[in-house]
Amino acid sequence: MKPSPLAVGLIGAGGITQAHVPAWIELGAQVTVFSHAGAAELAAEYGVSSVESLEDLLESCDIVDICTPTPTHRGYAEAALLAGKHIICEKPIALTRADADAVSALAEKVGRQAYPAHVVRFFPEYARAKSAVADGQIGTPAISRFSRVGEYPRWSAWFGDDRQSGGIVMDQMIHDLDIARWISGEVTDVYAVKSASAVGPAVTAQVILTHEGGALSYVSGVWGAPGTTFVTSFSIAGSHGVLRHDSRTDASIRLDGGTREKVGGTRPDISLGESPYLTQLREFANACAGGEPPRVSLDDGARAVELAEAANESIATGASVSVARRTAGIAA
Amino acid sequence: MSGVTSGRELRVGIMSFAHVHAATYARLLARWPGVEVRAADPGAASAPADESRGRELAASLGVGYADSYEELLAWKPDAVIVASENARHRSLVEAAAAAGAAVLCEKPLATTHEDALAMQSACDGAGVTLMTAYPVRFSPAFVRLREIVTAGGVGELLGATGTNNGQIPVGERAWFTDPELSGGGALVDHIVHVADLIDSLTGLRPLTVHAATNRILHADKSQVRAETGGLVTVGYEGGFILTIDCSWSQPDSAPNWGGLTLHVVGSTGIAEIDPFAHHVGGFTELGPSGLHLSYGVDTDELLLAAFLDGARRGHQPQPDGQAGIRTLAIVLAAQESARTGLVVDVV
Repeated sequence: MKPSPLAVGLIGAGGITQAHVPAWIELGAQVTVFSHAGAAELAAEYGVSSVESLEDLLESCDIVDICTPTPTHRGYAEAALLAGKHIICEKPIALTRADADAVSALAEKVGRQAYPAHVVRFFPEYARAKSAVADGQIGTPAISRFSRVGEYPRWSAWFGDDRQSGGIVMDQMIHDLDIARWISGEVTDVYAVKSASAVGPAVTAQVILTHEGGALSYVSGVWGAPGTTFVTSFSIAGSHGVLRHDSRTDASIRLDGGTREKVGGTRPDISLGESPYLTQLREFANACAGGEPPRVSLDDGARAVELAEAANESIATGASVSVARRTAGIAA
Repeated sequence: MSGVTSGRELRVGIMSFAHVHAATYARLLARWPGVEVRAADPGAASAPADESRGRELAASLGVGYADSYEELLAWKPDAVIVASENARHRSLVEAAAAAGAAVLCEKPLATTHEDALAMQSACDGAGVTLMTAYPVRFSPAFVRLREIVTAGGVGELLGATGTNNGQIPVGERAWFTDPELSGGGALVDHIVHVADLIDSLTGLRPLTVHAATNRILHADKSQVRAETGGLVTVGYEGGFILTIDCSWSQPDSAPNWGGLTLHVVGSTGIAEIDPFAHHVGGFTELGPSGLHLSYGVDTDELLLAAFLDGARRGHQPQPDGQAGIRTLAIVLAAQESARTGLVVDVV
């Protein structure tokens, strides 16, 4: 008997769904979309279904994929878990560690799986670096740098509102905060600075992480002027070697004039390999179907939120923040 | 400050060969038109036997030699380069100033604020100029960057990141790993260049410094007694931010010493420099690893040209002693921050 197709309920119709919907289709999933706006258009674009209410969406699926603005994540996550669904939630999974932990606790209580979409762990250059470090190819990580440069997000107004997105640290740099922790381990202290209030729409921030055992990481984020080329880079210096990557110099195709087709540009170019979004959703779907746990857990997502929160606190106070003390203080 | 009568040779003294850059300067000056060079390196007597120093090194570099600093200064040099151990700059700068010579001091200017101020004061008192040896300032890439930034090419400046990563300076000179003489580890060695570029680029006053360090790199080298890795974050007036990776993270096996980069973020654009990028790369089966054949402009030569020009004409060259003092203040604050874990105000 042919197994019934994976049924996915996708909430939201914004930018990231343009990466998720094709990936779900590639995985053979039956996709249903619910959104306050744009659901019918998104569904029509990809030939999938849309529904008018959250209730109808929850009726239609086994896995809920939450692709909405950050402040709404917890509400949708709890509704989906209470309806017995597994969930996949865009990063950051919440604006506070407390909200993230609440989702985590509920998932455990209802016995459903929940995963954060920290897609950078599925970009092959980061996965390759992680495995090289894990295999001991550069010894013990000592000093790592991660940089992410892109244009100021103007495609949806809520990104620019720090109260909704958490600002550049919570929305953009959280990717590399997660990667830094993935590679160099748990973080004890966070120090961060951010440029003065946006001049035009442009902002940059720098976060220093001290890991257990003494390794240091440095995450730099830029939301730059309109048209800024999307560039990521990293350098991981260990006791016995260095790993380096730069999305510009390591591109496998470059184009100079000749056609209007854009090679590279303001978004990550993922066109020359399997989409990391596809890799990610496959791994999550397999786990939900009883397979291996994926490379990132909801707790990892919560810890990334915690690091971003600590960084934002450091920016606000001008002092270094002890992660453990901060978390204990909140729990008390 | 008086200049030197045109037509006669400029006398340049080199005080100490302790710093490896002394040989670089001597080699350049030995073939410099209109310049006569003499060095004194009395510290050679107590240097490790395997280090090339003193009269022997002077001869191999093709420069004259004096047995003592007194003898060198009695020769009445117009200009003096001080290249002793980092912690031993002060007495030599004071002696050179008292002898009426324009002074170029190797970086870092000093290892304490007190020494740096005293050196500046000695030069001011003697009516001679003090220059700090920050050659990257003369990199054509940086000069172009400053032109672009000054013309508003990237809009209002928001922040920058810099790296100055090199191989650990062990081997050629043992004192580099003695904190008493070097003033510390990676912080004192590699903060100053990037900090000076930002100083020159923005003119902004640094207010706060946070530094985190570790000793994971080169933990297997018993002679290393200071931090080998460091991340230093500086907050400037107006909210400009800077983080410097000053780690000795270029592996010993790399084909080149390391490099320096600066990435500047403005409100309308981003500018980056990699002053040591120019090279032909490749591989050889006749050596241990890859080939890295640099062909960039020699910034040491440009630095010396500015110094000699200043000495000849009696003008203050840049970067001056004050630039050295300002960047040293960031180093000292970083060392205190690394020690205490606190964010430290810059003096």
